[in-house]
Amino acid sequence: MVKSKIQNNIRKLRFNSGEMTQQQLADEVGVSRQTIVAIEKGNYSPSLELAFRISHVFNTPLEEVFTYNSETP
Amino acid sequence: MSYQEKQNIVNIFSGLLITGIYAILVYQRHLRGVFDLTEDFRKWGVIFLIFMGVSIVARIILYIIFHIINAIATREEKLPIEDERDKLIKLKSTRNSYYTFSGGCITAIVWLALGMPVYGIFVAFVATGLLAEIVDNGSQIYYYRKGV
Repeated sequence: MVKSKIQNNIRKLRFNSGEMTQQQLADEVGVSRQTIVAIEKGNYSPSLELAFRISHVFNTPLEEVFTYNSETP
Repeated sequence: MSYQEKQNIVNIFSGLLITGIYAILVYQRHLRGVFDLTEDFRKWGVIFLIFMGVSIVARIILYIIFHIINAIATREEKLPIEDERDKLIKLKSTRNSYYTFSGGCITAIVWLALGMPVYGIFVAFVATGLLAEIVDNGSQIYYYRKGV
């Protein structure tokens, strides 16, 4: 499986945003639910623009949504 | 299974079905002596042009049937939006498809240089085209499942 070095806290942030569903987040940022699933699982690294859109939805700085793990092989 | 995965599976089977049926029909006409595909290269051009038309029409019909069945089965009428991940997957799959087609063409040319009959290159084009399409759709299924 293609695992990304970019990790994220989207699941936790969704939970803290009143159990926002993946579909609701997908609609907010203009992508499909499958793309949100793939990002949460670490199977897809979003573009910088999409990453900013996601962080804006949670009203959180980008580095608190996404972190780069250089030690992941 | 996502809509895209199902669509790619349908594409693979429709490609095999359309090419297979058309190839059988053409080969039967060749065997009956309607035309000689080993000598008449102009006929190959006509066959390819007809195949393109037939393939496009057949695919449109199969796509409509697939969409209707999918809408009935899933009760989702709206097509999923194409986002940046879909575009990236398509881009990578098209790249794999081009590699396959280029490899097939080079192999056919090498075989031609080694003494394969000239009509063999047309057969190789059909086979490589079909293989490239399978690689394209297969790659998309892989990337959707395993990540990109």
